[in-house]
Amino acid sequence: MRYKSKLVTLLVAATALTAALSACGSASSNGNSANGGAPNDASPSVSAGSSSEAPSSSAPSGEKATISFIHWRGEDAKAFDAIIGKFERENPNITVETQVFPSDQYQSTAQAKLADGSVGDVFASFPGAQFASIAKAGLYADLSGAAFLSNFLPSLIEAGQRDGKQLAVPYQLVYNIPIYNADIFAKYGLEPPKDWNGFLAAAEKLKSEGLVPIAFPGADIGPGQFMNPMVMNNAPDPDIFAKLEAGETKLTDEWWVKTLSQFKELNDKGYFQKDALGTKDQGAGALFAQGKAAILATGSYQLAQNKKNNPELNQKLLAPITVSEDQAVYEGIHTTTFMLGVNAKSKHPEEAKKFIEFLSRKDIAGEYANATGQNVTVKDVEYTSDELKTVAEWTDKKTRFQPRFTITNAEIQKAVTSSIQAVLGGNSPEQAAREAQAIVDQQIGK
Amino acid sequence: MKPGKRLILFYLPGTVLYLALFVYPTLTGLYYSITDWDGLSPSYRYVGADNYARLAEDIVFRKSFANNLKFMLAVVLVQTAVSLALALQLTKKNKRTVALRALFFVPTVLSSVSVGFIWTFIYDPSLGALNGLLEKLGLGALTQNWLGDMDLAIFSVAAVQAWAHIGQMIVLYVAGLQAIPRELLEAARLDGGTRGQVFRKVTWPLLAPAAAIVVSYTTIQSFKAFDLVFTMTGGGPAYSTEILSTFIYGAAFTNGTFGFASAASVVFLALISLITYLQFRLLRADRVSY
Repeated sequence: MRYKSKLVTLLVAATALTAALSACGSASSNGNSANGGAPNDASPSVSAGSSSEAPSSSAPSGEKATISFIHWRGEDAKAFDAIIGKFERENPNITVETQVFPSDQYQSTAQAKLADGSVGDVFASFPGAQFASIAKAGLYADLSGAAFLSNFLPSLIEAGQRDGKQLAVPYQLVYNIPIYNADIFAKYGLEPPKDWNGFLAAAEKLKSEGLVPIAFPGADIGPGQFMNPMVMNNAPDPDIFAKLEAGETKLTDEWWVKTLSQFKELNDKGYFQKDALGTKDQGAGALFAQGKAAILATGSYQLAQNKKNNPELNQKLLAPITVSEDQAVYEGIHTTTFMLGVNAKSKHPEEAKKFIEFLSRKDIAGEYANATGQNVTVKDVEYTSDELKTVAEWTDKKTRFQPRFTITNAEIQKAVTSSIQAVLGGNSPEQAAREAQAIVDQQIGK
Repeated sequence: MKPGKRLILFYLPGTVLYLALFVYPTLTGLYYSITDWDGLSPSYRYVGADNYARLAEDIVFRKSFANNLKFMLAVVLVQTAVSLALALQLTKKNKRTVALRALFFVPTVLSSVSVGFIWTFIYDPSLGALNGLLEKLGLGALTQNWLGDMDLAIFSVAAVQAWAHIGQMIVLYVAGLQAIPRELLEAARLDGGTRGQVFRKVTWPLLAPAAAIVVSYTTIQSFKAFDLVFTMTGGGPAYSTEILSTFIYGAAFTNGTFGFASAASVVFLALISLITYLQFRLLRADRVSY
């Protein structure tokens, strides 16, 4: 008997444990969806602004409205807190609740969260693939004709347009072109070159002075960054990668083979540091910050980090012009991101637009930029740091939206950047292009 | 209830856990592998064997498979041989050998992500410790672009995988070596056997069960590798270190082709099952008796 009762106890305990474990599993998944659905449940998120109000169903004037703002910039939370505080003082009837999600998670789940309209009255989105899929799902309210659009530089909000409508406004601005050490350039009497021969000559001069002309993080971000200015004038068509994905052009065509040959030329002539393919972001950044390399082939987002590593640095931006001067169409590459949109299913679209209008004022945008070190797409903003000013000079130049971001298929993007690594690893441009095109063909089902 | 039937109840908790945590996800994976689900949308279509047909043709999948084999062979050879060589030196029980065994075991305790980052820095071509050391020793000619050379990168990662697991294998070998009756070794030596002869004729045959465990464990573990490749190279440069697990990860989470990734996982599962089965067959054939 005693044996039996022990057995029963053990069994009950085991079953209870199993039940508890499985309950755990389902409880957490419920928790997630509940969280996605309830704007006032701020448990796992960073809540900014004032305390949550009871949600008001509709918001005729005079009644209080709570709008939800979702984005991925956890590092900007403090700056946004201050700005939202001002907004709420100006609009006592509107409360803004912020939820921040990590950017990798944001890429994949934002759309699902937006779908029922309960969160993200105002939401940020990435250009390219995410913008396309949210637009396709019809989740952007049309902002065309809104008065605040005139606060932005027109060329910098094009990434938020689709079929003639302004669906979102990009807020942040980055230039994906190399940074150069202006003191080194001045010392050797160099100017940013205006054509390919000039670029090679400048690199040769720097090399002969014992410097690394270009620090290139070939192991990770380098190919994806530097390909943009390298290809911009070889294929001036802004839809070139859309055409690639539609099967209307190939990587084996002249524009890409030429780009690969020029990468190979830079590598073979020793203008990249030795073993560029084994160098990661930090390694290349260190070479530049220490003054051992004259050019860092990444983008403007690294200016602040370089300055932190070496406060003496005097940095500017330049782009390689891969053609002759008269054939050059573009001077550089920009990426406009953190695209603010209003959820088409929002219950408070007017309040949501009011918030975007507030963010688009030049003093507010300036406050954001100077607090976070990010340049913005808003006109006439006064920047305080040298780095932000350096970037701001470029808003007058003829730049083009980052071509790599126009590739919507991640495997194709990888095939393209891998072909650059392949030529640096010793393959011929033709062979590397052929192998990459074979992968593209499989992806587009040709 | 008969005692026999009562005992069946003991199987229940384990079976439930196994069904819920292993069989159910596996079957779900199998199910998604015949759909074009993107991992996000509520709806998807059935595509039959399309994903498998695409997989058979896929260039990157083929490259990944070849890299997997290279990686596995390199890890198995290095890990088995080096840990045996070290274990032979560390069988005796004294303070020095115990301390050394503990030292060799340390990398096993580290998380593989830390191991990956540590070695990424060691391998860095210009700032890294490895090339720096070679230069200092006057062996500058041997410096390599460890992770950037497309022919070498997969082996550089394999070396780290072996480095991280040799300590574990030493423990297995030492246990095997200590189980060999000392009389046999003494008898062989008294009969005039040289060290080499004693090893070949006595130690090695009696160590075979331990060696078999080491080899099979290493094979499966290296075939399933993911974290080191993911942290050290991300599959690059130009797919030269892409292996099946990173291929599946990319297909599912970067490219949003969950159905396709599920098909690749099913193939991956089948391959691992096959390898395991073949090894168990070999193991049984290899079993020694005194």
